[in-house]
Amino acid sequence: MATHATLLALLTGAALTLSAAEAKKAPLDLSKLPPTASAPVDFARDIQPLFAAKCYSCHGAEKQKGGLRLDIKVAALEGGDNGKVFIPGKSAESKLVHALAGIGEAGIMPPKDKPLTPAEIGKVRAWIDAGAVWPDDGMLAVKKSDHWAYQPAKRPAVPGTGNAIDAFVRARLAKERLQPSPEASRPTLIRRLSLDLLGLPPKPEEVRAFVSDTSPNAYEKLVDRLLASPHFGERWGRHWLDLARYADSDGYEKDKPRPFAYTYRDWVIQAINSDLPFDQFSIRQLAGDLLPNATHAQKVATGFHRQTLTNTEGGTDQEEFRCKAVVDRVSTTATVWLGTTMGCAECHSHKYDPFTQREFYSLFAFFNNANEKAIPAPNAEEQMAYDKAKQAHDAETAKLKTALDAYAKSELTSKLDAWLKIASLDAVPWRALTPDKLAAKNGTTLKADKEAVITASGTLPDKDTYTVEAKLALKRLTGFRLEAIDDPDPKKGAGRSKDGNFVLTKFGVKLFVPGQFEGKDLELATAKADFSQAKFPVEAVLKGEDTAGWAISPQQQKSHVAVFELKSPLDVPEGTRLVFTLDHQYKETYLLGQFRLAATDAAGPLKPDFTPDAVAVALAAKPDQRTAKQTEALAKYFREQVDEQGKKLQAVIDDHAKKAPAPSATTAAVLAEEPGVRKTFTHVRGNFLDKGVEVRAAVPAVLHALKPRAAQPDRLDLAQWLFAPENPLTARVSVNHVWKILFGRGLVGTVEDFGKQGEKPTHPELLDWLASEFPRLGWSRKALIKSIVTSATYKQASLNRPELQERDPNNLLLARQNRLRLEAETVRDAYLAASGLLNPKIGGPSIRPPLPADIAALGYANSVKWIESKGDEKNRRGLYIFFQRTVPYPMLMTFDAPDSNSTCARRERSNTPLQALTLLNDPVFFECAQQLGARMAEVPTADAAERIRHGFERALARPPSAEELARLLKLYEAQLKLAQANADGAAKIVGAKQAAPEVPEKATLIALGRVILNLDEFFTRD
Amino acid sequence: MNLRPEMSPSEVVNLTRRDFLASTGMGTLALASLLAEKGYAAPSADPLAPRASHFAPRAKNCILIYFEGAPSHIDLYDPKPKLNTMTGQKLPDEMLEKVRFAFIKKEGVRLMGSPRKFTKHGQCGTEMSDLLPHIGSIADDVCLVRSMHTTQFNHHPGQLMMNCGSPLFGRPTLGSWLTYGLGNESRDLPAYVVLHAGRGSSAGASAWSSGFLPSSYAGVLFRNQGDPVLNLGNPPGFTDEMQHLGLDAIGDLNRLRHKHVADPEIASRIGAYELAGRMQAATPELMDLSKESQATLDLYGVGRKSRENPGGRGGGPETYSTFSRNCLLARRMVERGVRFVTLLHASWDHHSNINQELPFCAGMADQPIAALVRDLKQRGMLDDTMIIWASEFGRTPLGENRNSSGVVSGRDHHPFAFSMWLAGGGIKGGQVIGETDEIGWGIVKDPVAVPDLHATILRQFGFDHERLTYRSQGLDFKLTGFEGARVVNQMLA
Repeated sequence: MATHATLLALLTGAALTLSAAEAKKAPLDLSKLPPTASAPVDFARDIQPLFAAKCYSCHGAEKQKGGLRLDIKVAALEGGDNGKVFIPGKSAESKLVHALAGIGEAGIMPPKDKPLTPAEIGKVRAWIDAGAVWPDDGMLAVKKSDHWAYQPAKRPAVPGTGNAIDAFVRARLAKERLQPSPEASRPTLIRRLSLDLLGLPPKPEEVRAFVSDTSPNAYEKLVDRLLASPHFGERWGRHWLDLARYADSDGYEKDKPRPFAYTYRDWVIQAINSDLPFDQFSIRQLAGDLLPNATHAQKVATGFHRQTLTNTEGGTDQEEFRCKAVVDRVSTTATVWLGTTMGCAECHSHKYDPFTQREFYSLFAFFNNANEKAIPAPNAEEQMAYDKAKQAHDAETAKLKTALDAYAKSELTSKLDAWLKIASLDAVPWRALTPDKLAAKNGTTLKADKEAVITASGTLPDKDTYTVEAKLALKRLTGFRLEAIDDPDPKKGAGRSKDGNFVLTKFGVKLFVPGQFEGKDLELATAKADFSQAKFPVEAVLKGEDTAGWAISPQQQKSHVAVFELKSPLDVPEGTRLVFTLDHQYKETYLLGQFRLAATDAAGPLKPDFTPDAVAVALAAKPDQRTAKQTEALAKYFREQVDEQGKKLQAVIDDHAKKAPAPSATTAAVLAEEPGVRKTFTHVRGNFLDKGVEVRAAVPAVLHALKPRAAQPDRLDLAQWLFAPENPLTARVSVNHVWKILFGRGLVGTVEDFGKQGEKPTHPELLDWLASEFPRLGWSRKALIKSIVTSATYKQASLNRPELQERDPNNLLLARQNRLRLEAETVRDAYLAASGLLNPKIGGPSIRPPLPADIAALGYANSVKWIESKGDEKNRRGLYIFFQRTVPYPMLMTFDAPDSNSTCARRERSNTPLQALTLLNDPVFFECAQQLGARMAEVPTADAAERIRHGFERALARPPSAEELARLLKLYEAQLKLAQANADGAAKIVGAKQAAPEVPEKATLIALGRVILNLDEFFTRD
Repeated sequence: MNLRPEMSPSEVVNLTRRDFLASTGMGTLALASLLAEKGYAAPSADPLAPRASHFAPRAKNCILIYFEGAPSHIDLYDPKPKLNTMTGQKLPDEMLEKVRFAFIKKEGVRLMGSPRKFTKHGQCGTEMSDLLPHIGSIADDVCLVRSMHTTQFNHHPGQLMMNCGSPLFGRPTLGSWLTYGLGNESRDLPAYVVLHAGRGSSAGASAWSSGFLPSSYAGVLFRNQGDPVLNLGNPPGFTDEMQHLGLDAIGDLNRLRHKHVADPEIASRIGAYELAGRMQAATPELMDLSKESQATLDLYGVGRKSRENPGGRGGGPETYSTFSRNCLLARRMVERGVRFVTLLHASWDHHSNINQELPFCAGMADQPIAALVRDLKQRGMLDDTMIIWASEFGRTPLGENRNSSGVVSGRDHHPFAFSMWLAGGGIKGGQVIGETDEIGWGIVKDPVAVPDLHATILRQFGFDHERLTYRSQGLDFKLTGFEGARVVNQMLA
C-alpha cells in the first residue's frame, strides 16, 4: 500500500500541471549575474546614457512595451505591467538586472540590440544597490501622442457656402475631379428615409402623398414627420442595442432567460423617441444610479452594463465571471464612447495605442464597485392592472368580513353558548418554549418573536443544523411539539426551499439539569405528524439519517405539526434547560423557515394537533371557573376552528386572501454602487487569480484629465469625463456612428477603432465639423440626423457610374449614396409591413415567433423553452424577438444580427444561399407572400398587369418598368398554367381546404408576390 | 486609399455562378484578404470561393467528432493499473491545496480505479479500453494524445476553448476558421455542416458559431427531422417546377435591376439564389442512404438499436442508429466537397453511474467511428480527411463525493490531463503522444495544450496559425490566441 509520501514521490517526478504559468517559473540562477561595480556610480553620468542608448527605443516616450517607461523618474519607479522593475538596495532581486543579464522570464534585454557588457551591468547593479538615486527630473509621466484621433477636434472653416456637409464632401470630390450624383427620385428618397429613420418601408399612400407634394419644403416635412414617429426609437434603439450587446438570456451553459431584459430596451426606445440629449443618454446608462436623487428611469438606464454574460453552470467560480463582466464593461465603454480597443490591455499593454495594462485596470476600478441588482419595474400597463385588481380584491375582502361579522353577532352566539357548556378538555395543553439562545451551523439567521415563533432568514445554505435553547417551566415532561408554520406570503411555505418545503432529517433534545455539566440526550419513543409527505415520514427524524426525514409536499401552503413522546415521563427540577437540535442534511435549501417548539406534561398518547395553549388551559378549567379572557379565547377558537359555518366563512376569507393579486414581478437589471471600495489589482495575463500591482481609478494618461467630484473618483466622474469639452474622441466617435448608419460606412471606416490600427478618416474636416456641431446642437440626436439627411450628399442617387466604378469602387468619396442590404430585423419588418401583417405595437416583453421544436431543443439539456407567441404578437417587429444566446433565432443570425456576446459597432452584410432559402421558404416569409398575393387578388380589376403593378408598388414604392412588368406577366402566365394543372397544389399554396375556381389565380398571385418579395431591391435600401 | 476596382459589375453580372467561382481565382481573393485585413468582407467577392492556404495542405476535409461532457480518459484511453491498486486512498494535501474542483469536496475525497480491461491493439500495440474494441481495431491509423490539457474546468467555457481556442463566448469555431481560410469546394452544399445525435449540448449553437467572422462561415445545422436544412423545402403546394419558374424570374429581374444600378452586390445575390436552388436539389440526394450497400450500412451500424441506458443521459433507443447514420453522412458530405463536418453528441458528463452510462456512450461511438475511418481508408479518402475525437477535458482519478448519500460512482471534471485522438489528413497513425503520471492526474511527458492542437490542425490544412488572422474590434484575432502555440511535429506523418 502506497503512503502519501510514495504517492507524492511518484507524482513529483512530473511537473504537476496545475497551471501552465507555474510550470514555467524556474528558479533564477543568480550566480550568472555580473558582479557589482566597486567605483561610485552617478545616475546622470553612468546610468541615464545607458538607458537612453539601450532602452528608450522600446521603453521611452514613443513606445512603452510592457507598460514600462525608463526615461521619466516617476514612471520608471512605478515599473511595468508586472510591477516594479528595480528595488533600491537590492540589485540581485531586481527584474531590470535579471533582464539585462538575460536570466529572467523576459529573456535578455535589449532583445535585438547588443547586450550590455558585464561592466555596464555591474554599474547598474551598483546604482541600484546604492539606493537607485535618481535626481528629480520634475517630469510627470504625461504621454503625448501625435495620432490624429487624440488631438483636440477644432471646428474647421467650411470650404464654401451652403450646406456645410455638402461643402466638405464636394471640396474633396473636386480635388479628384469627380462630380456628385443627382438627387434620387422621390420614391427612392421616401423609401430610403423611411427605412433609415423608422426601419419600415413607406406605405403606398405615403409614397403617393410625397411624390405629389409640390411644396418647396416637402422633403423637410417628411423628415420631421419621420423623426416624430414612435417607430424612430425602435429603429435607432436597435442600433444602440447592438452596442449594448442586448440579449434576453444569460449566455453560457444554463443560458437562463432574462424575462425582464426588455425593461432596458423600453428605456432605450423611449429615451431616443424623446430625443434625450446624447450626453445625458450616455451618462445615465453608465452611472444613472449615482446621479443626485436618481430617478427610477435613471437607474433603469444602467441596464446598459447589465447585458454582460452570466455563467451559472454548476461548479463555476463566480468571481471569475464577475471579473469577466467588469472587463467587458471596460472594453465596451472604450469601444462605444472612445472608439478605442482596450480588450487586449486586459492581458498586456496595448501594442499599438498608448494604453498600458495598468491603465486598463485603472478603468476597471471605476466599475469594480458596481454590484448587480434588480429593482421593481412594472410598466404602466402592469401597474394599472394591479391597482385595479387590488381594489376589486379589497372590496371583496371587506364584503366577506362583513358577512362573518354579521354571522358572529347573530346565530353564532347561541351556538357558542351551547358549546361552552359542554366543551371540555380533549386536547393536551402545550407550553410554548420561548428560546433564549438560537444558532445555526451554516449561517442561517434565526430569530424568535413574542409568540415564540422562530423565523429563519438571511443566508440560504444548502444544509444547516439549527440549535434552540430554552428554559423549561414544567416540572414534569412527557413530550414535545414542533409546529411548522406556513408563511403569510401565499407563494411561500413553512420551508425555505423554492417550493416552500423542508426536510427535517433529525430532531434531538438534550436536557440540562442545574448543577450538572453533562447534558442528557432524551430518548424519544414516538413521532407523529398531522401530515407527512409520501416517503418522508416524520418517524424518520428519530433515526437521523441524511437521506430521509420529515417533509410536507404537496401541502406546503399549510401549517403542520409533529409531536414527539418521551419513552417515559420525566420529573425535572426547576431551572432545567432544553437544547433542541433540528438537522437538515437532505439537499439544496430544504430548511425549516418558520417553526415553534412546545413541551407538555400531559399524559399520552399525544396527538398532533394545534390547539393553542390558552385554549387548552381554558378547556381544562371547569366552565363556571373560566376567566373572561379564557372565555374570549374559547369563543374565538369556537368560531374559527369548531363551528362548521364559522369555519366555512373563515375559509372563504382565507381562500380569497390567497387570490390577492400579486404586484408585477417585472424587474429591471441595474448597477448599484457598493459602499466602500473594492481594491483593484492588475490581473497578470488576464488571470483573475493572479493579482499584480494595485491600481486606483484613473483615466488613461494620453487623454484629458479627470475632474472627480470627490477624492475617490467614481463611475459618474468617468461618465462626465467622456463628455468634457476637451475630450477629442467621444464626439467624433458618436457622430461617426450616426454617419455609418446613414451611409453604410463611417467617415472613419473602423467605427470601433480610432487608434493607430484603425482607418484614417476619409473626410477629417467634415468629421471634426460634425464633432463640433453635435454639442452645439445640444447633443440632440434628431437634430444631428436631420442636418445629415437634409444634405444633398445624403439625397444623392445610389446608382453606380462607370467612372466611379473605376476611380472609387468602394465609394469612399461619396460621389453617390450607397445601396445597403437591410439589417436582419429590418428585412423581417419590411416583409411584415409590405404584406400588411405587421403588428406595430411598441415596447414590452420579447416575443417568440414560430421556431421548429428541434432547433430550440439544441439548448443545454432541453433547457430552452420556446413557447410560441400567440395571435399577432408573433408578427411584431424583429427587435422584439427573444434573443436566446445559445439558440439565437436562426433568421436573425442568417442575416448577420450580432451574437450579442460583446459590443457590436458594425454589422456584416453578407450575401448567402441560406438567406435566399429563408426568404423563399421560411413559413414567416411565405405567409407574407400569401398576404401580398391576397392584396393583389383584391384589386378590383380583371387585368393581371394591374394586380401585378399593385403588388410591385406596395413592396418597392415604385411602378415596375415595362421590361419588369413584361417579365412578371410571363411568369404569371406560366405559373397560372401550372396552378391550373395542379389544383391540389394550388389549394395548398392558397391555404384553402379544397380546390375552387378562383384558387389557381390566387395561387399564381402568391407565387408572384413571393418573387417580388425576393427581389434584391426589396430588401435593399437604395 | 485604394481606389482601384477589381472587376467591373457588368463583367460580374454576366457570369453564371459556376463561372463566377471558377474565374474569381486569385485576383478577387487577394482583394478579399486585403479587405478582410481591414475588417471588411469584399463587397462583391464570394466569401466562400475556394482559396489557397499559406502552403500546400496535407488535409482538405475535416470531421470533428465532439463528445460533450468530457469522456473519462482513465476508463477509455489511458490505462492506470497503479491507480487501481490505490483505490480508496487519499491524495496528499499538498496536491489538493492549489486545485479547484467543480464539484468534488476536498474533505474525504478518495482515489478511484477503473474496472475496465485494457489490451494492446494493432502493430503499434496502443492500449485501449474494452469499451472500444472497434476503435482498437483501427489503432494503427490513430494518433492518440494522452497529454492534452486545458485551462478550463467548466463545460461551456471548456467547449469554447476546444472549439474556438478561447473560453469566451463569441469567437469563431475551428470549422469557421478553416472555412474562412479555404472557402467551399462544394458547388451545391454548405462548406461547414453540423450533425447531432441525442440531446442538446451546453454550448448550444456556439459549438458551430462563426463568432466575429461573417455568418457565411458559420456551421449549417442539419436536422434529424423535417427538412435536413432549415427552410430547404418549398412552401406547401410549390412543386419543383414552380420553384424553378420563380427562381428564374428572380434571376432575370435582378439582372434587369443590376443593369440599372450596376451594384456588384446584386451579382452576388443572383449567385446566392442559384446556389440555394442547387442546394435544394443536392441535399435530398446527399441524405438518401438507399444507394449505400447493406454491407456499408452494417459496417456503420445504421439501423441498430441502442443498448439499455440506465442513466438516461446520452440518449434513447434511437441514438445509436442516429449516430451511425451521422458518421455515414459525414463520409458522403466529404465525398461531395463539404469542408468541415462536426458530429455532436451529449452527454459524457459522468459525475455518477459511470460504469453504467459510459458503456452506453462508448457503445454508441465505437463501431461507427471505426467504420468511418475504415471506409474512408478503403476509398482512398483518409489521406486528405482528418478525423478528430475530442472533448473539453477529462475526468478525475478521484471518485466524486458530491452527493450526501455517500455513494461514489463517478468522476469530476479534470482539465490537467486528458486524451483525444486524430487520424488521417497527414497525421501519423499508430502512435501515442504524451504520458500521464501513474494515476492519470498530471502530465509527465510531452504536454499538448489546446492551442498547440489547433496550430497542428491548421498546419495540416496549410496554414501558419500566426498568419491566419481576422481583425475584429481593432484586434487581430487568431484561433490559437495570444499566448503562443506550437505545432506538435510528432503528430505529423
